[in-house]
Amino acid sequence: MKRREMLRASVLAGAAAALRPALANAQSAAQGAAQPSELTPAQSGVDASKEFEGPGWKPLFLDEHQNETLIILSDLIIPATDTPGAKEALVNRYIDLVLAAETRETQQAFLNSLGYLDSESIKRFKAAFRYLSRDDQDLLLHALAYPRFGSSWTGDTSAVADPGHGHFEALKGRIMMSYYSSQIGEKELGWDGAFAHGPYQGCEHPEGDHK
Amino acid sequence: MIGINNRTGMAQDPLLQTYDVIVVGSGATGGWAAKQCAEAGLKVALLEAGRAVSPKEFTEHMPAYKLKYRDHSPEIVRTRPVQKQCYACMEYNYEWFVNDLENPYSTPPGKPFTWQRLRILGGRSLVWGRQSYRMSDNDFKAASRDEYGDDWPISYAELSPYYDIVEKYVGISGAAEGNEMLPDGQFLPPMKMSCGEIQLRERVKAKFGHTVTIGRTAILTQNHNGRLQCHYCGPCERGCSTFSYFSSPFTTVKDAIASGNCTLITNAVVSHVDMSAEPNKARGVTYVDRLTRQVKEVRGKSVILCAQALESTRILLNSSTREYPNGLANSSGALGHYLMDHVVGAGASGRLPNLNPLPNANEPARPNGIYIPRFRNTPSSKKHSQFIRGYGYQGGAEAGFNFNVEGYGTTLKRAVKEGEYSISLGAFGESLARWDNYIEIDKDLKDAWGIPALHINMSHGDNEAALMQDAGASAAEMLEAAGAKDIRMQANVEMPGMAIHELGTARMGNDPKKSVLNAFNQAHDVKNLFVMDGASFVSSACQNPTLSMMAVTVRACDHMIERFRKNEI
Repeated sequence: MKRREMLRASVLAGAAAALRPALANAQSAAQGAAQPSELTPAQSGVDASKEFEGPGWKPLFLDEHQNETLIILSDLIIPATDTPGAKEALVNRYIDLVLAAETRETQQAFLNSLGYLDSESIKRFKAAFRYLSRDDQDLLLHALAYPRFGSSWTGDTSAVADPGHGHFEALKGRIMMSYYSSQIGEKELGWDGAFAHGPYQGCEHPEGDHK
Repeated sequence: MIGINNRTGMAQDPLLQTYDVIVVGSGATGGWAAKQCAEAGLKVALLEAGRAVSPKEFTEHMPAYKLKYRDHSPEIVRTRPVQKQCYACMEYNYEWFVNDLENPYSTPPGKPFTWQRLRILGGRSLVWGRQSYRMSDNDFKAASRDEYGDDWPISYAELSPYYDIVEKYVGISGAAEGNEMLPDGQFLPPMKMSCGEIQLRERVKAKFGHTVTIGRTAILTQNHNGRLQCHYCGPCERGCSTFSYFSSPFTTVKDAIASGNCTLITNAVVSHVDMSAEPNKARGVTYVDRLTRQVKEVRGKSVILCAQALESTRILLNSSTREYPNGLANSSGALGHYLMDHVVGAGASGRLPNLNPLPNANEPARPNGIYIPRFRNTPSSKKHSQFIRGYGYQGGAEAGFNFNVEGYGTTLKRAVKEGEYSISLGAFGESLARWDNYIEIDKDLKDAWGIPALHINMSHGDNEAALMQDAGASAAEMLEAAGAKDIRMQANVEMPGMAIHELGTARMGNDPKKSVLNAFNQAHDVKNLFVMDGASFVSSACQNPTLSMMAVTVRACDHMIERFRKNEI
């Protein structure tokens, strides 16, 4: 398999005759010590989209409580409407996969944000976030999403005094990234699955319309 | 001098012969050098440090959800910590970029430099930004105008016919504007502008007199030279199954090989130029086989370095001899000096509330933006009090999904799709040629093939900072004139290397005491040695340089081929 990959990587369409040295190199390399593939998985045609869809899925990084909390939170942030939401898009599984490969610092920052949700929940409702009623969960999230001081409208979260808002935005950012980069998310944005819709027409207004 | 220990164990390549020309590097300029020489009947060996590339590995039509990490791969973080600073290095294609662990370089404390490299057939032409602009005598003869630095030894009139040749072959789409700073060229039909871009164009012209034009880009808007027109899928840097953007493997290199006069040797990591027993004459090059680590020699009557500005100079610095102890062809001492990279970090963004913000995921994706040519320190403008030279902008305006919405729940889901019409401009400023910005060999650092690595010493100066200050303010003013709201201005100086427009370090000049190459990219000291890439640039101008590099190369090849005909090489 390795050898075939190497050879494929070396073949330039229409120039095979002139590529003898390249092929010779590729062959000698394949015969020598094992070479790591020089193609990315994507360049080798790997489709990883179904990888974490199986029923036997287990988190790599999150514990069960964290994972369940994340599923509930993601479903509140991007709920199913007439289109599927974050839960159906398995955003928790993608977030878990990415976090498992992250630095300890980034992992800890995420856990701090998720932990903040529980600590606020226990303070106000005497129970962890995942055990609250949907209404109480909504009450708590609303306070974090729309803090009294500052605004995320400008995207400038540094101006916001409420630390809870920062944690909320950090969690929301990951959930949104995970959702809108999924196949479900692409459909939500209206993508028809075709890769080209050319040619680009640009502005079709009469000349002088934008003076 | 070279960190290769097994010179005695040099393997004889079965294909070894004395070529007329050895071209080192198969990117934008190496492809041209190979094509021009091979088609003129010279026997060419084209050496590439990386492997060959196949259209089968193009991924431009693969959606991100098929990537395991959806472009957040830990493998990139681990093996490409430098390369990932370039937007084009992605989970799709990171193997095209060099592995930073195998290709180290050093910088002084507090003076970072990011060096983006590809070692694969075609080099950076596989992933380049494709923006293609001519330079003018305002650039080539800038020193005569403002008394900073040196003029180029060539004029626009001398280079113009070569721009024509390159543009006609490559296929550059663009609009003629008659701008004094940005000469028009041989254009394919321009790509269309969006409503927001036309609004900017109209209002900026009316208020400031500046030109806003569609980007001039090496992407086909009609079928051309056996390649198909663009199908507007968007991400060119992942490869193009219709070869609609210009990259050397499927154009110039293909032609060179088809001529029957060009032998392509891939996986040839060139360490140094070999010198003949005769004085000042190159004999060929030595390379390390990337895969087997065997050291091999290729012999040629002439050597052309097209390895990328810093790599070509690194090869010369690693080719020291008794005669040239500080780098080959360096009697001037200028080798390695006058490193440039366009200064970036200034611009502005905002939104255009008068335009329909509704985004459409099925809109054709135009792989191009708009361009605003330099308007400071031009023949028709006042001399600026704060800086010399100037900057140009790239930018764009379009409706897009609004991922910065407040709140959560069903309102968030709806607001994302309601979208936002955004507009932005980012400046590229001229980087002044300064002696103090230089590269040298790091005596303690070698790459994975035992070849001494570079120490890169570069920082932007006061002039670059002043350019960015003005560029940020001017961008904000222009967006305001275009009717933009929520304008955010930036006037930073990003670390050198970020523009990925490295230039200089083996500059041209008429004076052998101050320059490495003559006006035909020929080393003053070693007449059968040429450097035909960005290393030869005397000044950086502010235009994206690849088109000019290719034109300079074709011109230099013409001269070289002529000398071959006269038996002078």
